[in-house]
Amino acid sequence: MKLKVYADRLSQPVRAVIIFCEVNGIDYEEIKVDLANREHLTPEFAEINPMQQLPAIVHGSFKLFESHAILIYLASSFPGVADHWYPADVYKRSKIHSVLDWHHSNLRCGPITIVQNSILAPVFRSPLNPEAVAEGEKILSAALSKTESFWLDDNRPFLLGQNQPSIADLILVCDIMQVKLVGETDWNRLLGPYKKVQQWIENTRNATNPHFDELHKVLKELKEKLQN
Amino acid sequence: MKLKLYADRMSQPVRAVIIFCKKNGIDFEEIRVDIAKRQHLTPEYAEIIPMKQLPAIVDGRFKLFESHAILVYLASSFPGVADHWYPADVFKRSKIHSVLDWHHSNLRRGPTTIVRNTVLAPVLGRPLNPEAAAEGEKFLSASLSKIESVWLKGNGRFLLGGNQPSIADLSLVCDIMQLELLGETERNRLLGPYKEVQQWIENTRNATNPHFDEVHKILMKAKEKLQNPRMKGATNEGGGSDMKRTLHSRI
Repeated sequence: MKLKVYADRLSQPVRAVIIFCEVNGIDYEEIKVDLANREHLTPEFAEINPMQQLPAIVHGSFKLFESHAILIYLASSFPGVADHWYPADVYKRSKIHSVLDWHHSNLRCGPITIVQNSILAPVFRSPLNPEAVAEGEKILSAALSKTESFWLDDNRPFLLGQNQPSIADLILVCDIMQVKLVGETDWNRLLGPYKKVQQWIENTRNATNPHFDELHKVLKELKEKLQN
Repeated sequence: MKLKLYADRMSQPVRAVIIFCKKNGIDFEEIRVDIAKRQHLTPEYAEIIPMKQLPAIVDGRFKLFESHAILVYLASSFPGVADHWYPADVFKRSKIHSVLDWHHSNLRRGPTTIVRNTVLAPVLGRPLNPEAAAEGEKFLSASLSKIESVWLKGNGRFLLGGNQPSIADLSLVCDIMQLELLGETERNRLLGPYKEVQQWIENTRNATNPHFDEVHKILMKAKEKLQNPRMKGATNEGGGSDMKRTLHSRI
């Protein structure tokens, strides 16, 4: 009963789930569902996830989608997953839920809006939209500001004053990494003001390497392809 | 060490948390923070909740915001909360997380967008925006469609085939209830095609009454004021502020 992960590594939440599996030694089969070729919109994939989104998992007869729900399920169901990923302590756990919920309406919107209206527009056959990109940058900056001043307030390496990463760190950092697609100059411009955020991204990367770098190779490759 | 709940009942997620507490006999002190008067943006409130959001709870020294996180915390921490609200079974629990996450990016955007750009625009000091409202309607319809075809699939009376409500039912239904502010005709136009959704709203209401109706009273009063022809006809300068003043006094 091997876990199946329906994935396109171009997707930020997919990367978070795969990195989590790799770091925690969870045995899985990665099944590619190509977003650019609209494979997620096929009737076959609708059988796996009627919402037709990635990531999705199938574990025996159990199907699940939405990356936060998947990470919670994996952390709760697989032996050997260290407590810091999704603590049993109800206070710590609740704070993680709080970040993950906040993320939906705040940080998550920024990188997607920027990237889908600029560099990824041709890939998804939509028009370039500089106004939308500008909006996305505003949303991202506001979210990074809040992350810097509130979620990373305690000068500890990870969110919520923790010394080790949780699923929240993985999800949020993978989202921010999407901005790498727009190139180093813009990445430095957008992330430049936020020193704690930059350090935290590095901390998360170090805590999950070599898997973090391995999973993010796809962004480098795609960027080079699109620029050539 | 009574639980403190920072609340404005005009907010859908606030109502979900209050109904949950009342239904489960959780003792709490409701502290009013008036969104229309921007009290959530004051330095005083930021001292308590730096992210300035509602709902928020303070339980002893523990502070928490984001309604889903609050509901999960309350279900996990207070004795006497029946299992169906947030089941211990990891499969059922994970599916509830899946609905709640889907909700953020889908249903939640519908009612809020419609209402903020139409009936509540004057109250919030915003311009009317029919295009934004139309976008909100598209979101709402797409979400209601998915609720019928996916989340309400199966023979249960509630989401995910359940015969008892979970925190997901409460959260989503309270969001849809915001459409009441548009008045009967509009609400019926938007919800009309979705018979199973309408039944599920009624099931959730019945399962949590009298608290559901009590907590939604404020919304119903606001609806009457907004739909009142005398208010609608006042298009002079005083009209907008009259509506604002009346709504403030009602809230």
